Amino acid sequence: MGWFSLLFGPDGWAPLLLRGTVITILLSVVTVPFGFGAGLVLALLKLSPSRPVRVACDAYTTFFRGIPDLLSLFIVYFGLQSLLNVLARLLGDAWRIEMNAFVAGVIALSVVVAAYSSEVWVASLKAVPPGQAEAARSLGLHPKQVFLLVILPQLGRVALPGMGNIWTILVKDTSLISTLAVSDLLRAASEASRATTRPLLFYGAAAGIYLIFSIVSGVGQAYLERRANQGYA
Amino acid sequence: MLDALEGIAGFVFNLDLLSTYGWRLLQGLRITAEVVLISCSLGFLLSYPLARGRMSRNPLISAPALAYVTFFRGTPLLCQLYLVYYGAGEIRPFLASVDLWWFFRDAFYCCIFAFTLNTAAYQAEIVRGAVQSVPKGQLEAARALGLSPYAIARHVLWPQALLIALRPLGNELIGIIKASALAAIVTLLDLMGETRFVFARTFDFSIYLYSALIYLSITQAISRLWNWIEALLSRHLLAGRPATMVLGAATRKGQGAALDPLRAEP
Amino acid sequence: MNVAKVLSLIGLATCLASMSAEAKEWKTVRFGMDATYPPFENVDPKGQIVGFEVDYANALCAKMHVTCTFQNQDWDGIIPALLSGKFDVIFSSMNMTPARAKKVLFSDMYYATAPVWVAQDSNKSNDTSFAALKDKAIGTQSSTVFANYLDKNYKGIEIKLYPGGDEPLLDLANGRLDYAVSDILVTQGFIAKNPGCCRIVAEIPRTADIFGPGVGAAFRPEDTDLAALFNKAIAEADADGTFKTLEAKYFKIDIRGKK
Repeated sequence: MGWFSLLFGPDGWAPLLLRGTVITILLSVVTVPFGFGAGLVLALLKLSPSRPVRVACDAYTTFFRGIPDLLSLFIVYFGLQSLLNVLARLLGDAWRIEMNAFVAGVIALSVVVAAYSSEVWVASLKAVPPGQAEAARSLGLHPKQVFLLVILPQLGRVALPGMGNIWTILVKDTSLISTLAVSDLLRAASEASRATTRPLLFYGAAAGIYLIFSIVSGVGQAYLERRANQGYA
Repeated sequence: MLDALEGIAGFVFNLDLLSTYGWRLLQGLRITAEVVLISCSLGFLLSYPLARGRMSRNPLISAPALAYVTFFRGTPLLCQLYLVYYGAGEIRPFLASVDLWWFFRDAFYCCIFAFTLNTAAYQAEIVRGAVQSVPKGQLEAARALGLSPYAIARHVLWPQALLIALRPLGNELIGIIKASALAAIVTLLDLMGETRFVFARTFDFSIYLYSALIYLSITQAISRLWNWIEALLSRHLLAGRPATMVLGAATRKGQGAALDPLRAEP
Repeated sequence: MNVAKVLSLIGLATCLASMSAEAKEWKTVRFGMDATYPPFENVDPKGQIVGFEVDYANALCAKMHVTCTFQNQDWDGIIPALLSGKFDVIFSSMNMTPARAKKVLFSDMYYATAPVWVAQDSNKSNDTSFAALKDKAIGTQSSTVFANYLDKNYKGIEIKLYPGGDEPLLDLANGRLDYAVSDILVTQGFIAKNPGCCRIVAEIPRTADIFGPGVGAAFRPEDTDLAALFNKAIAEADADGTFKTLEAKYFKIDIRGKK
């Protein structure tokens, strides 16, 4: 059967691939606030004066950055399942919480992204000149205002290259979720290629789509960096 | 309640598991080590011509190099692995006709092939970035001294470039160790593969944690080893630093700053 | 900042929408299947899970007056997923082995077929003894009764284990494997779709310790009421011929095995 009809014919697999693409994009986009947000919180905790807190956060980061992402995803995925199981037993049968694969995937990815991004956030927090915070405080701004209005915008500029890197890693890590039966793009390509025994066609198509993501992300990142660096030499 | 707490403690640590299946994990570790070392070395060898190609002024050479690097850095490694492993199966008649089927038939070689191509792209970019970071003044001075292009490359450019590239290359090695876990998905029984095998047999979650500890020890050991190598190889750079930095370490806090002519005192 | 807020709200909404507490009375039953096992279950181009077991499950659900939903789940993690509440029943050609019966509750048996050795068409030998297979590449799906059989009787030969049910046959067809072990009906379906690729070499006798009496649905040990509902529905489907009709539609033989 010609490749065109395999993709676009009446029994074509293109709609499934398209749905997989949407899931991949959704997975990546939904993970961003949770993963990067948790990473920022982690970074702030790492700069805390309390030593146990710093040690705990460093341990978390070292653990998830030191093991394969695939293993991290498995640990969070199966660990979450077991945890929910134990919770259900503790709280009684009536409280069994159901969690779908997409949410589990987002949580697993967020845990990994938080670990990676916390390093970038820490470096960025240290790169913002301390004079900025001092000046803001001396102007009478409340600590929360100091952070939100003065530090955070400057953080963005310094953190952008590192974050862009982590975004790339995130999009590629969504492909690992395919091993956990979430129907993302790579999973759709796997199912299609197994049913039709035409792996080159479907994995090639998936690779092409990922490549487009990658190029678009690169262009987007360059644009954001140009804008963020507008006022600077 | 106590029962449930016991349950939580029970599923995290299970020492019998280790005694029964620990040898399997070690077997897997050996396969992982083989895959990582071979892919990393071959990738390093491949990265040199690739980096040269990227830096070439001839578009006929730099365009394919750019395409290669963009493809292998822009698509997930798992996708590349599937393409190699399953794709080879699809073009088997062709491979058999050029007597290459014996290579692609084996999951081990397929993994090495895919990982090598992938890491070569990343290493090429690292090396290229490092070469372009060597201060231009170095090259100008070398040319002014009348050194031949070969001598410049051999004694001035590449030693400094490789030193700059050392840390990112170390990170890439750690990256390959972590990425090698994907080999388990194409039936290779490396450390991750054996972990999944044991989990499928026992449904005991703690095997994943033991596996994680093994990976963690390896990456931490490599990380520290690399730091040591970097410190060893950049000893000579310490001597060239401004005197203040050396003095600052020797004097007590505050006095070092006073001796620093470059720092404006508020 | 607005973008971040919107993204967070989308994320939060997605999470909340997918969490729900399950009550004891069975109105909806969630099925978990490893949809890589045609013709029992596989994914069609529209992304739906289809196959004999899907049709059979729908028939049973009609008799039990419940709504069925189907989820795809990798075979390796299918029992942990059931036990942790991801779905309520495994309906995926799971053989009722004594080892599994320790972890899950099984329904009555609804089919029992023979496992077979499969080889490439060009391989005309019917010898499946250890000596003959010693340096051959053998493969099957991991965590299956086939894998356990091979591990027990062919220790010492490297067995390749695949995550998906159709993968051993696919790799046999493209020459990576010399022999594969799979179910007879799955193999016949595969050979029908790929004529000339492979042939069934020999049947493997179903011993009780490795294979159990047959295939059944698996439940969490505490869901005895659901198991009872299923057994009742299975009996009803047998009595009114629903099972026989489906059996005839997909297979031309009696899949309950010799009684």
